[in-house]
Amino acid sequence: MRAIERWVEVPLQTFLSESAARVTLLMTSSGQVVAQHGFTRSLDVMSAAALGAGILASTAELSRVMGTRPLDAVVHQGSAVGVYLAGFDTPRGRWLGLVVFGPETSLGLVQMFFARMVGDLGRAAPAEEPPRQVLAEDFEAELNSSLRTLFGR
Amino acid sequence: MPLVNFTTREITCKLVYYGPGRCGKTTNLLYIHGRVPEQRRGNLVSLATQSDRTLFFDFLPLELGMISGFATRFQLYTVPGQVYYNATRRLVLQGADGVVFVVDSQARRFDDNLESFQNLQENLLDQGVDIRNLPLVLQYNKQDLPPDLILAPAELDDAFNFRGVPSLPSDALHGTGVFETLKSLSALVLQRLAARAPVP
Amino acid sequence: MSLDLALSDITRIPGVRGALVVSRDDGLVVADALMEGVDGGAVAALAASLAGRMRGVTAVLGQPEPVLLTLGGTEGMLLLAPGQSGLLLVAVAGSDVNVAELRLSVLAAAGTTF
Repeated sequence: MRAIERWVEVPLQTFLSESAARVTLLMTSSGQVVAQHGFTRSLDVMSAAALGAGILASTAELSRVMGTRPLDAVVHQGSAVGVYLAGFDTPRGRWLGLVVFGPETSLGLVQMFFARMVGDLGRAAPAEEPPRQVLAEDFEAELNSSLRTLFGR
Repeated sequence: MPLVNFTTREITCKLVYYGPGRCGKTTNLLYIHGRVPEQRRGNLVSLATQSDRTLFFDFLPLELGMISGFATRFQLYTVPGQVYYNATRRLVLQGADGVVFVVDSQARRFDDNLESFQNLQENLLDQGVDIRNLPLVLQYNKQDLPPDLILAPAELDDAFNFRGVPSLPSDALHGTGVFETLKSLSALVLQRLAARAPVP
Repeated sequence: MSLDLALSDITRIPGVRGALVVSRDDGLVVADALMEGVDGGAVAALAASLAGRMRGVTAVLGQPEPVLLTLGGTEGMLLLAPGQSGLLLVAVAGSDVNVAELRLSVLAAAGTTF
């Protein structure tokens, strides 16, 4: 399990152990990964986040077009695994969760423990930290070198 | 703004390729996907119609490497260009850290470019983003076509580049300018990130 | 018998706090009649999970699937009656309930409903 910020870890770990979910991804509404469990490649995580955020965004837009209340959750039921996708509000803005679960658990359990995790995250979120130095002033040389390596130039 | 993980020292940036239908947005990503070593990129996710027009978005994650001690990742998205897919464009644009506006240099596509550029500004404004404050790069694509069919970069600059942002001629199909465009936008996005976070 | 009728046959027993018909595979509420304060979603999810585990236990023992599961607590009890059609009848009761009457009602409702 990996999380961008430490305070996300305990609620997520609790959810994972109680729900028996196989894969879980928490992301911002624009598809940026906040925490994940069950993926082996970071690149796959980003693709899953982009697709999950896309599905929920289009569902929200669909409800707006139809003039209904926002549709906050989507369930894909497969023959071997199910996928539960849901949006929720946190003190850090709107986040989305993507959960893949198998027959060892159930949608009902996933939904129930997911709702508990949302509550736990709301209580665990600390006040936002002030901005910190991210990049050194001379980052451009490293950027150019990285891009050259990437493109084999 | 880019997502920064101080614990694992990772930066993730969302870069969006915008422009009218068939201007070459997906071609940019296809070229990048074809050139970058497999271990440094994910699969190219393409949600397209049967006729290969982008329906929702194309998505390509890239592992750039270490920048200032941070493992830096780019998420490259394209939007569907056709006019009637505006709701989808708005969704993909959400949370973008930088935009490449791909201009189709053909003279007959001038109005389509203009309409798409105005649409970009409107969609950003809807999300509370002023285009003047967002890292933006213009890519004048299809510059390989015969000169009588296309507008020169200087002419396109006159029409689109009122902010004096970086603009690059390209032939995305063969890769000319693709690398330079990505490099230019990533520098702008990271510069902004560096400027935003003052030394404590 | 309709699901609502089956539930009302159970909830009319003094001491019963609620009854639910639950989808066994996904642990979701199909129908419910609950008193204020009973979290139907949580009861459904946990009851379906419990029934699934008990089904596994009896399968390991080479026994047929149980027809009634009773979970007793200091302040009440939970009765689960798995049906043949992928449904599960669940009754939630306080400690003051007439257990024999509740068992008969749950079995009868499960037998006629599923």
